[in-house]
Amino acid sequence: MTTAVQCREITKTYKNKRALNELSCTIEKNKITGIIGRNGAGKTTLLNMIAGHRRVTDGEIQVFGANPFNSLTVSANIVFINDTMNLPNGLTCLEILEEGQNFYRNWDHELAGRLFEYFGFTRHDIHERLSKGKRSMFNAIFGLASRSPLTIFDEPTTGMDEAVRKDFYRALLKDYIAHPRTVLLSSHHLSEIEDLLEDVLLIKNGREHLHMPVSDLKEYAVSIQGSERAVTNWLGGKNIIARRSGPAGRLYAVVENTIHDTHIKEAREKQLDLSPVSASDVCVYLTDERKGGIDDVFE
Amino acid sequence: MNLNTDGAKPIYIQISEWLETEILNGNFGYDEKVFSQYQLAEMFNINPATAAKGLTKLVEEEILYKKRGLGMFVAGGAREAILEKRKDQTLRRLVEEIVAEAKHLNISEEEVIRMIREVNQKGEGEEK
Repeated sequence: MTTAVQCREITKTYKNKRALNELSCTIEKNKITGIIGRNGAGKTTLLNMIAGHRRVTDGEIQVFGANPFNSLTVSANIVFINDTMNLPNGLTCLEILEEGQNFYRNWDHELAGRLFEYFGFTRHDIHERLSKGKRSMFNAIFGLASRSPLTIFDEPTTGMDEAVRKDFYRALLKDYIAHPRTVLLSSHHLSEIEDLLEDVLLIKNGREHLHMPVSDLKEYAVSIQGSERAVTNWLGGKNIIARRSGPAGRLYAVVENTIHDTHIKEAREKQLDLSPVSASDVCVYLTDERKGGIDDVFE
Repeated sequence: MNLNTDGAKPIYIQISEWLETEILNGNFGYDEKVFSQYQLAEMFNINPATAAKGLTKLVEEEILYKKRGLGMFVAGGAREAILEKRKDQTLRRLVEEIVAEAKHLNISEEEVIRMIREVNQKGEGEEK
């Protein structure tokens, strides 16, 4: 079996808000998949369903072939790291790690101890009293050390400074190379994690919008820029993802990358600026609800 | 090498080009084993699948060959193949850009060739 998570048309409604809307997706085993989307797109809701913390309103979800809701087998194989984790304050952080060892079959206590020390935790630290960044790092250590077959990090770097974030991503990559497992990583900052990922799952309005290798996403779109008339001519028949009018009759547009050498030549002849679009910018354009951009607010 | 992560060039292509340069510089000889996808992933802080894609590209171009369970090795004629490819693609594209820019600036072909000669002579002078 190569599938870790299978969602079939899952819907989740909270009161009268639809957080997930018939979302379907298949996540393959032993890959690092980035869960990307705007605020409120449904990332956290989806991860909650996968972890079995909430029940789906409609549809079917399977994790390692079983329904995750209320399943002890599934939860023994999952770790779900986020910034609302409820860890007991009656225990010190070190004691929490020791409890992890009792619960998770693959737990690496030596790794936990070394990370604990490296990131400057002490034996008297209490989870609740840690700073935001430190708490995130502690949660991340817990997630790494558990070596769970399905490891979910929902915005794991909230509050971490840049050096710590880099260390965390490096630690995740090294441990993944040594012990491959299925990792789901959600973030607002695709550019920060894209090199780490194999696949990207882009969520928009509670649905799967795109699911592809990150390397394909990087070649998914190109941008074109120049005088409005020349760009409009060049755009004829192409699939436009976004267009923005700039000052002095300039036009900037993003199109799906189905262009050929003749288009490149034409752009060069008309002195249009044709450039690749980064994976993270592609996601921003694809998930933009508004037509136009922030500039239009000031028109 | 630092990877250029601004999106201008896919990471796996940067990896394959880096390996090509290593072969051109003689750091890997014929039939010598190159880095594995996992070593490359660690070195460049990237997903091992991306590194594997860079290696696969070189296998497809017959610059590397695969020995099952042992890894990737430098193929016979790899150097020549890389040189040929760089001449055919990279250099040609650069020349095309030069020609287009010269046209744009209304500079004659003779003048462009003269500029190339100048740069060449300057380079040789510095080498001496």
